[in-house]
Amino acid sequence: MIELKRVSRLYGKVIGVNDLNVKLAAGAYGLVGPNGSGKTTLINLLTGQLRPTLGSVRVFGEDPWHQRDMLRRIGLCPASDVLYPNVSASEWVQYQVRLHGFSLAESRERAHTALDRVDMTDRMHRPMGSYSLGMRQRTKIAQAIAHDPDLLILDEPYNGLDPVGRYQMTEMLVQYAEEGRSLLFASHVLHEIEAITSSFMLIHGGRLLASGTAAEIDMILADTPREVTLHGEDVTRLASRLIGLDWVDSISLNKQGNQLTLALLDPQELYRQLAGWIASDGLRIDRLQAETGELTAVLDSLLQHHRGEAR
Amino acid sequence: MNGMLVFDVIRFELTRSLTVSRMMVWGALVAFPVTLVGILANRLALVEDAPKDQILGTVMFILIPEIVCLLGLLLWATPAIATEIEGQTWIYLAMRRSGRGVVAIGKYLTAVLWTLSAALAATTICVALSWPEDLVFMWLVLSGLVTLSCFAHAALYLFIGLMFRKRTMVTAVGFTLIVEFGLTFVPALANKLTVNYRLRGLFQNWLEWDTLKTPAEAVYGSEPVSTHLMALAIYTTLLLGLSLWKLRVSEFPNQQDG
Repeated sequence: MIELKRVSRLYGKVIGVNDLNVKLAAGAYGLVGPNGSGKTTLINLLTGQLRPTLGSVRVFGEDPWHQRDMLRRIGLCPASDVLYPNVSASEWVQYQVRLHGFSLAESRERAHTALDRVDMTDRMHRPMGSYSLGMRQRTKIAQAIAHDPDLLILDEPYNGLDPVGRYQMTEMLVQYAEEGRSLLFASHVLHEIEAITSSFMLIHGGRLLASGTAAEIDMILADTPREVTLHGEDVTRLASRLIGLDWVDSISLNKQGNQLTLALLDPQELYRQLAGWIASDGLRIDRLQAETGELTAVLDSLLQHHRGEAR
Repeated sequence: MNGMLVFDVIRFELTRSLTVSRMMVWGALVAFPVTLVGILANRLALVEDAPKDQILGTVMFILIPEIVCLLGLLLWATPAIATEIEGQTWIYLAMRRSGRGVVAIGKYLTAVLWTLSAALAATTICVALSWPEDLVFMWLVLSGLVTLSCFAHAALYLFIGLMFRKRTMVTAVGFTLIVEFGLTFVPALANKLTVNYRLRGLFQNWLEWDTLKTPAEAVYGSEPVSTHLMALAIYTTLLLGLSLWKLRVSEFPNQQDG
Protein backbone atom coordinates (compact mmCIF):
# COMPACT_ATOMS: atom_id res chain seq x y z
CA MET A 1 0.00 0.00 0.00
CA ILE A 2 2.69 2.52 1.00
CA GLU A 3 6.32 2.39 -0.06
CA LEU A 4 8.89 5.02 0.80
CA LYS A 5 12.43 4.55 -0.41
CA ARG A 6 15.13 6.68 1.18
CA VAL A 7 12.75 9.63 1.42
CA SER A 8 14.08 12.89 2.80
CA ARG A 9 12.39 16.22 2.78
CA LEU A 10 14.21 19.46 3.53
CA TYR A 11 12.68 22.85 4.31
CA GLY A 12 15.68 24.97 3.48
CA LYS A 13 18.24 23.80 6.02
CA VAL A 14 15.68 22.12 8.26
CA ILE A 15 14.99 18.44 7.84
CA GLY A 16 11.33 17.49 7.83
CA VAL A 17 11.83 13.78 7.37
CA ASN A 18 15.16 12.06 7.05
CA ASP A 19 15.95 8.96 5.02
CA LEU A 20 12.65 7.17 5.56
CA ASN A 21 12.34 3.61 4.35
CA VAL A 22 8.88 2.17 4.87
CA LYS A 23 6.91 -0.58 3.21
CA LEU A 24 3.42 -1.09 4.55
CA ALA A 25 0.83 -3.60 3.39
CA ALA A 26 -2.86 -2.71 3.57
CA GLY A 27 -4.05 -2.40 7.17
CA ALA A 28 -4.46 -0.02 10.06
CA TYR A 29 -1.36 1.78 11.35
CA GLY A 30 -0.65 4.34 13.94
CA LEU A 31 1.88 7.05 13.18
CA VAL A 32 3.22 8.10 16.54
CA GLY A 33 5.58 10.91 17.35
CA PRO A 34 5.79 14.07 19.41
CA ASN A 35 4.85 17.45 17.97
CA GLY A 36 7.32 18.48 15.28
CA SER A 37 8.54 14.93 14.74
CA GLY A 38 7.70 14.86 11.02
CA LYS A 39 4.26 13.21 11.07
CA THR A 40 2.55 15.93 9.07
CA THR A 41 5.43 16.16 6.63
CA LEU A 42 5.12 12.42 6.05
CA ILE A 43 1.37 12.78 5.52
CA ASN A 44 1.94 15.65 3.09
CA LEU A 45 4.35 13.45 1.15
CA LEU A 46 1.90 10.56 1.07
CA THR A 47 -0.91 12.79 -0.17
CA GLY A 48 1.14 14.49 -2.89
CA GLN A 49 1.07 17.91 -1.25
CA LEU A 50 4.85 17.89 -0.88
CA ARG A 51 7.52 16.53 -3.18
CA PRO A 52 10.37 14.60 -1.57
CA THR A 53 13.77 16.27 -1.79
CA LEU A 54 15.30 12.81 -2.12
CA GLY A 55 13.88 9.35 -2.60
CA SER A 56 10.58 8.07 -3.92
CA VAL A 57 7.07 7.87 -2.51
CA ARG A 58 4.58 5.34 -3.79
CA VAL A 59 1.02 4.90 -2.59
CA PHE A 60 -0.85 2.03 -4.24
CA GLY A 61 2.12 1.82 -6.60
CA GLU A 62 1.70 5.39 -7.83
CA ASP A 63 3.53 8.63 -7.23
CA PRO A 64 0.98 10.91 -5.50
CA TRP A 65 2.82 14.09 -6.55
CA HIS A 66 2.69 13.35 -10.27
CA GLN A 67 -0.40 11.15 -10.51
CA ARG A 68 -3.06 13.25 -8.84
CA ASP A 69 -5.85 10.96 -10.06
CA MET A 70 -4.80 8.53 -7.36
CA LEU A 71 -5.96 11.01 -4.71
CA ARG A 72 -9.41 9.53 -5.32
CA ARG A 73 -8.15 6.48 -3.38
CA ILE A 74 -7.06 8.50 -0.35
CA GLY A 75 -9.22 10.22 2.24
CA LEU A 76 -7.46 12.81 4.35
CA CYS A 77 -8.67 14.31 7.59
CA PRO A 78 -6.11 17.06 8.27
CA ALA A 79 -5.47 18.57 11.65
CA SER A 80 -6.50 22.02 10.42
CA ASP A 81 -10.01 23.25 11.11
CA VAL A 82 -12.74 24.00 8.56
CA LEU A 83 -13.82 27.62 8.48
CA TYR A 84 -16.75 28.10 6.12
CA PRO A 85 -19.14 29.62 8.65
CA ASN A 86 -22.16 30.05 6.43
CA VAL A 87 -21.97 26.71 4.62
CA SER A 88 -23.67 23.59 6.00
CA ALA A 89 -21.88 20.27 6.49
CA SER A 90 -24.16 18.76 3.88
CA GLU A 91 -23.22 21.37 1.26
CA TRP A 92 -19.53 21.22 2.08
CA VAL A 93 -19.12 17.44 2.10
CA GLN A 94 -21.20 17.18 -1.07
CA TYR A 95 -18.95 19.78 -2.71
CA GLN A 96 -15.82 17.89 -1.65
CA VAL A 97 -17.15 14.61 -3.07
CA ARG A 98 -18.24 16.35 -6.26
CA LEU A 99 -14.67 17.55 -6.81
CA HIS A 100 -13.66 13.89 -7.14
CA GLY A 101 -15.84 13.76 -10.23
CA PHE A 102 -18.92 12.01 -8.85
CA SER A 103 -22.29 13.08 -10.25
CA LEU A 104 -24.35 15.59 -8.28
CA ALA A 105 -26.87 12.97 -7.18
CA GLU A 106 -24.19 10.50 -6.14
CA SER A 107 -22.23 13.22 -4.34
CA ARG A 108 -25.32 14.12 -2.34
CA GLU A 109 -26.02 10.51 -1.45
CA ARG A 110 -22.41 9.80 -0.45
CA ALA A 111 -22.21 12.99 1.61
CA HIS A 112 -25.38 12.16 3.51
CA THR A 113 -24.28 8.56 4.10
CA ALA A 114 -20.91 9.72 5.44
CA LEU A 115 -22.50 12.37 7.66
CA ASP A 116 -24.91 9.77 8.97
CA ARG A 117 -21.98 7.53 9.77
CA VAL A 118 -20.38 10.22 11.93
CA ASP A 119 -23.73 10.93 13.58
CA MET A 120 -24.24 14.35 12.00
CA THR A 121 -27.52 13.73 10.19
CA ASP A 122 -29.57 15.88 12.55
CA ARG A 123 -27.28 18.85 12.22
CA MET A 124 -25.96 18.57 8.70
CA HIS A 125 -28.13 21.37 7.30
CA ARG A 126 -27.06 23.89 9.91
CA PRO A 127 -24.29 26.36 8.99
CA MET A 128 -20.88 25.14 10.13
CA GLY A 129 -20.31 28.41 11.98
CA SER A 130 -22.75 27.16 14.60
CA TYR A 131 -20.92 23.83 15.13
CA SER A 132 -18.90 22.84 18.15
CA LEU A 133 -15.31 21.71 17.60
CA GLY A 134 -16.42 18.09 17.96
CA MET A 135 -19.06 18.52 15.28
CA ARG A 136 -16.53 20.08 12.94
CA GLN A 137 -14.15 17.18 13.59
CA ARG A 138 -16.89 14.73 12.67
CA THR A 139 -17.68 16.71 9.55
CA LYS A 140 -13.99 16.56 8.61
CA ILE A 141 -14.06 12.78 9.01
CA ALA A 142 -17.19 12.64 6.86
CA GLN A 143 -15.49 14.48 3.97
CA ALA A 144 -12.55 12.09 4.25
CA ILE A 145 -14.64 8.91 4.05
CA ALA A 146 -17.49 10.05 1.82
CA HIS A 147 -15.79 9.05 -1.45
CA ASP A 148 -15.06 5.60 0.01
CA PRO A 149 -11.25 5.79 -0.13
CA ASP A 150 -8.95 2.77 0.01
CA LEU A 151 -6.76 4.55 2.55
CA LEU A 152 -7.94 6.91 5.24
CA ILE A 153 -5.31 9.23 6.72
CA LEU A 154 -6.11 11.08 9.93
CA ASP A 155 -3.88 13.73 11.41
CA GLU A 156 -4.52 14.23 15.14
CA PRO A 157 -8.27 13.54 14.87
CA TYR A 158 -8.79 13.82 18.64
CA ASN A 159 -7.65 17.43 18.80
CA GLY A 160 -10.16 19.45 20.78
CA LEU A 161 -12.58 16.59 21.40
CA ASP A 162 -14.14 16.09 24.81
CA PRO A 163 -14.12 12.60 26.39
CA VAL A 164 -17.48 11.69 24.86
CA GLY A 165 -16.31 12.88 21.47
CA ARG A 166 -13.09 10.89 21.84
CA TYR A 167 -15.02 7.78 22.72
CA GLN A 168 -17.34 8.17 19.75
CA MET A 169 -14.43 8.86 17.42
CA THR A 170 -12.60 5.77 18.69
CA GLU A 171 -15.69 3.61 18.20
CA MET A 172 -16.08 4.84 14.66
CA LEU A 173 -12.43 4.31 13.75
CA VAL A 174 -12.34 0.86 15.35
CA GLN A 175 -15.34 -0.10 13.27
CA TYR A 176 -13.71 1.37 10.19
CA ALA A 177 -10.54 -0.66 10.76
CA GLU A 178 -12.54 -3.81 11.54
CA GLU A 179 -14.19 -3.55 8.14
CA GLY A 180 -10.75 -4.29 6.73
CA ARG A 181 -10.12 -0.77 5.45
CA SER A 182 -6.69 0.77 5.54
CA LEU A 183 -6.03 3.51 8.00
CA LEU A 184 -3.08 5.67 8.92
CA PHE A 185 -3.65 7.49 12.16
CA ALA A 186 -1.19 10.16 13.29
CA SER A 187 -1.09 11.18 16.92
CA HIS A 188 1.33 12.16 19.64
CA VAL A 189 -0.69 10.23 22.22
CA LEU A 190 0.13 6.54 22.14
CA HIS A 191 -2.93 5.23 23.94
CA GLU A 192 -5.25 6.92 21.45
CA ILE A 193 -3.71 4.82 18.73
CA GLU A 194 -3.55 1.67 20.83
CA ALA A 195 -7.33 1.75 21.09
CA ILE A 196 -7.60 1.44 17.32
CA THR A 197 -4.64 -0.53 16.07
CA SER A 198 -1.68 -2.47 17.41
CA SER A 199 0.57 -1.61 14.47
CA PHE A 200 2.72 1.45 14.84
CA MET A 201 5.29 3.56 13.14
CA LEU A 202 7.25 5.63 15.60
CA ILE A 203 8.74 8.78 14.21
CA HIS A 204 10.99 11.26 15.97
CA GLY A 205 13.17 14.05 14.63
CA GLY A 206 12.11 13.16 11.11
CA ARG A 207 13.44 9.61 11.46
CA LEU A 208 11.48 6.41 11.61
CA LEU A 209 12.63 4.84 14.85
CA ALA A 210 10.59 1.65 14.71
CA SER A 211 7.62 0.06 13.04
CA GLY A 212 5.55 -3.01 13.73
CA THR A 213 3.16 -4.26 16.35
CA ALA A 214 3.42 -3.33 20.01
CA ALA A 215 4.98 -6.75 20.67
CA GLU A 216 7.56 -6.23 17.93
CA ILE A 217 8.45 -2.83 19.31
CA ASP A 218 8.76 -4.37 22.76
CA MET A 219 11.23 -6.87 21.28
CA ILE A 220 13.26 -4.04 19.81
CA LEU A 221 13.22 -2.37 23.17
CA ALA A 222 14.24 -5.56 24.95
CA ASP A 223 17.91 -4.73 24.43
CA THR A 224 17.46 -1.09 25.31
CA PRO A 225 17.99 -0.02 28.92
CA ARG A 226 14.80 1.02 30.72
CA GLU A 227 14.90 3.81 33.19
CA VAL A 228 13.84 3.26 36.80
CA THR A 229 14.06 5.99 39.44
CA LEU A 230 14.11 5.37 43.18
CA HIS A 231 13.57 8.02 45.83
CA GLY A 232 14.50 7.74 49.54
CA GLU A 233 17.20 8.51 52.08
CA ASP A 234 18.93 5.11 51.60
CA VAL A 235 19.21 5.02 47.83
CA THR A 236 23.01 5.50 48.18
CA ARG A 237 23.27 2.21 50.06
CA LEU A 238 21.08 0.55 47.47
CA ALA A 239 23.41 1.82 44.75
CA SER A 240 26.29 -0.14 46.28
CA ARG A 241 24.22 -3.31 45.89
CA LEU A 242 23.74 -2.60 42.17
CA ILE A 243 27.31 -1.88 41.14
CA GLY A 244 28.73 -4.58 38.94
CA LEU A 245 25.48 -6.40 38.23
CA ASP A 246 25.28 -7.42 34.57
CA TRP A 247 21.65 -6.30 34.14
CA VAL A 248 22.45 -2.78 35.33
CA ASP A 249 23.59 -0.53 32.53
CA SER A 250 24.17 2.70 34.43
CA ILE A 251 23.65 4.22 37.85
CA SER A 252 23.20 7.90 38.56
CA LEU A 253 22.75 9.56 41.93
CA ASN A 254 21.59 13.13 42.44
CA LYS A 255 23.59 15.64 44.51
CA GLN A 256 21.34 15.37 47.53
CA GLY A 257 21.77 11.60 47.54
CA ASN A 258 18.05 10.91 47.69
CA GLN A 259 17.30 10.03 44.08
CA LEU A 260 18.83 7.12 42.22
CA THR A 261 18.27 6.79 38.49
CA LEU A 262 19.01 3.40 36.99
CA ALA A 263 19.21 2.26 33.38
CA LEU A 264 18.34 -1.41 33.50
CA LEU A 265 18.61 -4.06 30.84
CA ASP A 266 16.25 -6.26 32.81
CA PRO A 267 14.01 -4.25 35.14
CA GLN A 268 12.24 -7.44 36.24
CA GLU A 269 15.43 -8.52 38.01
CA LEU A 270 15.34 -5.36 40.14
CA TYR A 271 11.68 -5.85 40.96
CA ARG A 272 12.40 -9.46 42.06
CA GLN A 273 15.30 -8.56 44.34
CA LEU A 274 14.43 -5.11 45.65
CA ALA A 275 12.06 -6.21 48.40
CA GLY A 276 14.68 -8.66 49.73
CA TRP A 277 17.43 -5.98 49.84
CA ILE A 278 15.14 -3.52 51.61
CA ALA A 279 14.31 -6.10 54.23
CA SER A 280 17.85 -7.46 54.76
CA ASP A 281 19.67 -4.07 54.73
CA GLY A 282 16.90 -2.13 56.47
CA LEU A 283 16.72 0.37 53.63
CA ARG A 284 14.27 3.18 53.47
CA ILE A 285 12.99 3.63 49.90
CA ASP A 286 10.00 5.91 49.61
CA ARG A 287 9.12 5.66 45.98
CA LEU A 288 9.96 3.72 42.84
CA GLN A 289 9.13 5.16 39.48
CA ALA A 290 9.43 3.08 36.32
CA GLU A 291 8.87 4.10 32.72
CA THR A 292 5.16 4.34 32.28
CA GLY A 293 5.06 3.38 28.62
CA GLU A 294 4.36 7.00 27.77
CA LEU A 295 5.34 7.93 24.30
CA THR A 296 8.26 10.12 25.33
CA ALA A 297 9.81 7.30 27.32
CA VAL A 298 9.31 4.80 24.52
CA LEU A 299 10.73 7.24 22.01
CA ASP A 300 13.71 8.00 24.23
CA SER A 301 14.41 4.29 24.48
CA LEU A 302 14.00 3.84 20.73
CA LEU A 303 16.27 6.79 20.09
CA GLN A 304 18.96 5.13 22.21
CA HIS A 305 18.45 1.96 20.23
CA HIS A 306 18.62 3.92 16.98
CA ARG A 307 21.90 5.51 18.02
CA GLY A 308 23.32 2.11 18.82
CA GLU A 309 23.39 2.78 22.53
CA ALA A 310 21.54 -0.46 23.24
CA ARG A 311 23.57 -3.56 23.89
CA MET B 1 -11.61 20.07 -17.49
CA ASN B 2 -15.18 19.22 -16.51
CA GLY B 3 -17.41 22.23 -17.22
CA MET B 4 -20.13 21.06 -14.86
CA LEU B 5 -17.62 20.83 -12.02
CA VAL B 6 -16.56 24.41 -12.68
CA PHE B 7 -20.22 25.38 -12.55
CA ASP B 8 -20.55 23.64 -9.17
CA VAL B 9 -17.51 25.49 -7.83
CA ILE B 10 -19.09 28.78 -8.92
CA ARG B 11 -22.36 27.83 -7.27
CA PHE B 12 -20.60 26.86 -4.03
CA GLU B 13 -18.50 30.03 -4.01
CA LEU B 14 -21.51 32.27 -4.67
CA THR B 15 -23.53 30.51 -1.97
CA ARG B 16 -20.90 31.04 0.66
CA SER B 17 -20.27 34.61 -0.47
CA LEU B 18 -23.80 35.85 0.04
CA THR B 19 -22.99 37.67 3.23
CA VAL B 20 -24.10 41.12 4.36
CA SER B 21 -20.56 42.55 4.10
CA ARG B 22 -20.08 41.24 0.57
CA MET B 23 -23.44 42.60 -0.50
CA MET B 24 -22.54 45.98 0.97
CA VAL B 25 -19.31 46.02 -1.03
CA TRP B 26 -21.33 45.12 -4.13
CA GLY B 27 -23.70 47.99 -3.40
CA ALA B 28 -20.82 50.42 -2.85
CA LEU B 29 -19.26 49.42 -6.16
CA VAL B 30 -22.51 50.25 -7.94
CA ALA B 31 -23.21 53.44 -5.98
CA PHE B 32 -19.75 54.97 -6.45
CA PRO B 33 -19.88 55.64 -10.24
CA VAL B 34 -23.64 56.22 -10.20
CA THR B 35 -23.28 59.04 -7.68
CA LEU B 36 -20.46 60.75 -9.57
CA VAL B 37 -22.07 60.40 -12.99
CA GLY B 38 -25.41 61.57 -11.56
CA ILE B 39 -23.84 64.74 -10.13
CA LEU B 40 -21.87 65.42 -13.31
CA ALA B 41 -24.89 64.85 -15.55
CA ASN B 42 -26.86 67.35 -13.45
CA ARG B 43 -24.16 69.99 -13.74
CA LEU B 44 -23.66 69.45 -17.47
CA ALA B 45 -27.37 69.88 -18.06
CA LEU B 46 -26.91 73.52 -17.04
CA VAL B 47 -24.06 74.13 -19.49
CA GLU B 48 -25.00 74.99 -23.05
CA ASP B 49 -23.09 73.43 -25.99
CA ALA B 50 -21.06 71.12 -23.78
CA PRO B 51 -20.02 67.85 -25.47
CA LYS B 52 -22.12 66.07 -22.88
CA ASP B 53 -22.01 62.59 -24.39
CA GLN B 54 -18.23 62.63 -24.75
CA ILE B 55 -17.56 63.95 -21.27
CA LEU B 56 -19.98 61.60 -19.55
CA GLY B 57 -18.93 58.67 -21.75
CA THR B 58 -15.28 59.20 -20.88
CA VAL B 59 -16.06 59.58 -17.18
CA MET B 60 -18.14 56.40 -17.23
CA PHE B 61 -15.32 54.58 -19.02
CA ILE B 62 -12.79 55.68 -16.40
CA LEU B 63 -15.08 54.96 -13.48
CA ILE B 64 -16.53 51.61 -14.47
CA PRO B 65 -14.21 49.39 -16.58
CA GLU B 66 -11.08 51.04 -15.19
CA ILE B 67 -11.91 51.59 -11.52
CA VAL B 68 -15.01 49.65 -10.42
CA CYS B 69 -13.88 46.47 -12.19
CA LEU B 70 -10.38 46.75 -10.73
CA LEU B 71 -11.64 47.37 -7.21
CA GLY B 72 -14.09 44.48 -7.36
CA LEU B 73 -11.55 42.09 -8.77
CA LEU B 74 -8.88 43.19 -6.32
CA LEU B 75 -11.22 42.06 -3.56
CA TRP B 76 -12.38 38.87 -5.26
CA ALA B 77 -9.75 37.46 -7.59
CA THR B 78 -6.55 38.37 -5.76
CA PRO B 79 -7.28 36.51 -2.52
CA ALA B 80 -9.21 33.67 -4.22
CA ILE B 81 -6.61 31.00 -3.48
CA ALA B 82 -4.59 32.87 -0.84
CA THR B 83 -7.50 32.98 1.63
CA GLU B 84 -7.99 29.22 1.31
CA ILE B 85 -4.28 28.68 1.94
CA GLU B 86 -4.18 31.08 4.89
CA GLY B 87 -7.37 29.58 6.31
CA GLN B 88 -5.84 26.12 5.88
CA THR B 89 -8.87 24.98 3.90
CA TRP B 90 -6.92 24.63 0.65
CA ILE B 91 -5.71 21.18 1.71
CA TYR B 92 -9.29 19.87 1.50
CA LEU B 93 -9.58 21.13 -2.07
CA ALA B 94 -6.08 20.12 -3.13
CA MET B 95 -6.80 16.56 -1.98
CA ARG B 96 -9.51 16.20 -4.61
CA ARG B 97 -8.77 14.61 -7.92
CA SER B 98 -10.04 17.68 -9.78
CA GLY B 99 -9.31 20.07 -6.97
CA ARG B 100 -6.60 22.47 -7.97
CA GLY B 101 -7.43 23.42 -11.57
CA VAL B 102 -11.21 23.25 -11.37
CA VAL B 103 -11.35 25.25 -8.15
CA ALA B 104 -9.02 27.92 -9.54
CA ILE B 105 -11.08 28.34 -12.72
CA GLY B 106 -14.30 28.25 -10.70
CA LYS B 107 -13.03 30.93 -8.36
CA TYR B 108 -11.80 33.01 -11.31
CA LEU B 109 -15.21 32.87 -12.97
CA THR B 110 -16.95 33.62 -9.67
CA ALA B 111 -14.80 36.74 -9.29
CA VAL B 112 -15.65 37.73 -12.87
CA LEU B 113 -19.39 37.12 -12.37
CA TRP B 114 -19.59 38.97 -9.08
CA THR B 115 -17.69 42.02 -10.33
CA LEU B 116 -19.33 41.94 -13.73
CA SER B 117 -22.78 42.01 -12.15
CA ALA B 118 -21.88 45.11 -10.11
CA ALA B 119 -20.19 46.79 -13.09
CA LEU B 120 -23.08 46.06 -15.45
CA ALA B 121 -25.59 47.34 -12.93
CA ALA B 122 -23.51 50.51 -12.55
CA THR B 123 -23.20 50.85 -16.34
CA THR B 124 -26.95 50.51 -16.85
CA ILE B 125 -27.82 53.12 -14.23
CA CYS B 126 -25.06 55.52 -15.32
CA VAL B 127 -26.05 55.32 -19.00
CA ALA B 128 -29.66 55.90 -18.03
CA LEU B 129 -28.66 58.93 -15.96
CA SER B 130 -26.45 60.42 -18.69
CA TRP B 131 -29.02 59.65 -21.41
CA PRO B 132 -26.68 59.95 -24.43
CA GLU B 133 -27.89 60.40 -27.98
CA ASP B 134 -27.37 56.77 -28.83
CA LEU B 135 -28.23 55.25 -25.49
CA VAL B 136 -28.24 51.59 -26.51
CA PHE B 137 -24.97 51.86 -28.38
CA MET B 138 -23.26 53.57 -25.44
CA TRP B 139 -24.55 50.85 -23.12
CA LEU B 140 -23.32 48.12 -25.46
CA VAL B 141 -19.85 49.67 -25.77
CA LEU B 142 -19.44 50.17 -22.04
CA SER B 143 -20.84 46.72 -21.25
CA GLY B 144 -18.44 45.13 -23.72
CA LEU B 145 -15.51 46.98 -22.15
CA VAL B 146 -16.65 46.06 -18.67
CA THR B 147 -16.83 42.39 -19.68
CA LEU B 148 -13.37 42.43 -21.25
CA SER B 149 -11.95 44.31 -18.27
CA CYS B 150 -13.36 41.75 -15.83
CA PHE B 151 -11.99 38.72 -17.65
CA ALA B 152 -8.53 40.23 -18.23
CA HIS B 153 -8.06 41.85 -14.82
CA ALA B 154 -9.39 38.80 -12.97
CA ALA B 155 -6.76 36.66 -14.74
CA LEU B 156 -4.12 39.22 -13.77
CA TYR B 157 -5.11 39.31 -10.10
CA LEU B 158 -5.50 35.55 -9.84
CA PHE B 159 -1.96 35.23 -11.18
CA ILE B 160 -0.61 37.85 -8.75
CA GLY B 161 -2.41 36.06 -5.90
CA LEU B 162 -0.68 32.82 -6.78
CA MET B 163 2.75 34.27 -7.40
CA PHE B 164 2.85 36.37 -4.24
CA ARG B 165 1.35 34.38 -1.41
CA LYS B 166 2.58 36.89 1.15
CA ARG B 167 1.48 40.53 0.97
CA THR B 168 -0.77 39.56 -1.91
CA MET B 169 -3.10 42.56 -1.72
CA VAL B 170 -0.23 45.02 -1.32
CA THR B 171 1.43 43.59 -4.41
CA ALA B 172 -1.79 43.67 -6.41
CA VAL B 173 -2.57 47.26 -5.42
CA GLY B 174 1.03 48.29 -6.14
CA PHE B 175 0.95 46.63 -9.54
CA THR B 176 -2.36 48.30 -10.38
CA LEU B 177 -1.16 51.75 -9.42
CA ILE B 178 2.23 51.47 -11.11
CA VAL B 179 1.32 49.51 -14.22
CA GLU B 180 -2.39 49.87 -14.93
CA PHE B 181 -2.67 53.52 -13.85
CA GLY B 182 0.91 54.68 -14.41
CA LEU B 183 2.79 52.81 -17.09
CA THR B 184 -0.33 52.60 -19.23
CA PHE B 185 -0.09 56.33 -19.98
CA VAL B 186 3.61 56.25 -20.88
CA PRO B 187 3.83 56.50 -24.66
CA ALA B 188 6.20 53.58 -25.17
CA LEU B 189 6.06 49.89 -26.00
CA ALA B 190 5.48 49.07 -22.34
CA ASN B 191 2.04 50.67 -22.22
CA LYS B 192 0.87 48.31 -24.93
CA LEU B 193 1.28 45.47 -22.43
CA THR B 194 -1.33 46.88 -20.08
CA VAL B 195 -5.02 45.98 -20.07
CA ASN B 196 -6.17 49.56 -19.65
CA TYR B 197 -4.33 50.65 -22.81
CA ARG B 198 -6.26 48.02 -24.79
CA LEU B 199 -9.56 49.01 -23.20
CA ARG B 200 -8.95 52.67 -24.01
CA GLY B 201 -8.10 51.74 -27.59
CA LEU B 202 -11.34 49.80 -27.93
CA PHE B 203 -13.33 52.61 -26.31
CA GLN B 204 -11.94 55.12 -28.77
CA ASN B 205 -12.31 52.79 -31.76
CA TRP B 206 -15.89 51.80 -31.04
CA LEU B 207 -17.15 55.31 -30.28
CA GLU B 208 -14.99 56.90 -33.01
CA TRP B 209 -14.47 60.11 -31.08
CA ASP B 210 -11.67 61.66 -33.07
CA THR B 211 -11.67 64.70 -30.82
CA LEU B 212 -10.25 62.48 -28.09
CA LYS B 213 -7.93 60.49 -30.30
CA THR B 214 -6.11 63.30 -32.04
CA PRO B 215 -4.54 65.06 -29.05
CA ALA B 216 -3.60 61.82 -27.30
CA GLU B 217 -2.96 59.11 -29.85
CA ALA B 218 -0.25 57.48 -27.79
CA VAL B 219 -2.64 57.19 -24.88
CA TYR B 220 -5.54 55.78 -26.88
CA GLY B 221 -3.44 53.89 -29.40
CA SER B 222 -3.87 53.59 -33.12
CA GLU B 223 -4.32 49.83 -33.51
CA PRO B 224 -7.51 48.39 -34.92
CA VAL B 225 -10.18 46.71 -32.79
CA SER B 226 -9.02 43.24 -33.81
CA THR B 227 -5.50 43.89 -32.45
CA HIS B 228 -6.81 45.07 -29.10
CA LEU B 229 -9.18 42.12 -28.81
CA MET B 230 -6.45 39.68 -29.78
CA ALA B 231 -4.05 41.23 -27.25
CA LEU B 232 -6.63 40.95 -24.46
CA ALA B 233 -7.43 37.34 -25.39
CA ILE B 234 -3.75 36.39 -25.38
CA TYR B 235 -3.14 38.28 -22.14
CA THR B 236 -6.06 36.58 -20.38
CA THR B 237 -5.30 33.09 -21.68
CA LEU B 238 -1.61 33.41 -20.91
CA LEU B 239 -2.17 34.56 -17.33
CA LEU B 240 -4.77 31.87 -16.68
CA GLY B 241 -2.46 29.24 -18.14
CA LEU B 242 0.41 30.45 -15.97
CA SER B 243 -1.84 30.42 -12.90
CA LEU B 244 -2.92 26.83 -13.57
CA TRP B 245 0.69 25.81 -14.15
CA LYS B 246 1.74 27.50 -10.93
CA LEU B 247 -0.99 25.66 -9.05
CA ARG B 248 0.10 22.37 -10.56
CA VAL B 249 3.74 22.68 -9.57
CA SER B 250 3.31 24.40 -6.20
CA GLU B 251 3.48 22.62 -2.89
CA PHE B 252 0.59 23.32 -0.56
CA PRO B 253 1.40 21.40 2.59
CA ASN B 254 -0.94 21.20 5.49
CA GLN B 255 0.94 23.51 7.84
CA GLN B 256 0.15 21.94 11.17
CA ASP B 257 3.12 21.27 13.34
CA GLY B 258 3.55 17.56 13.47
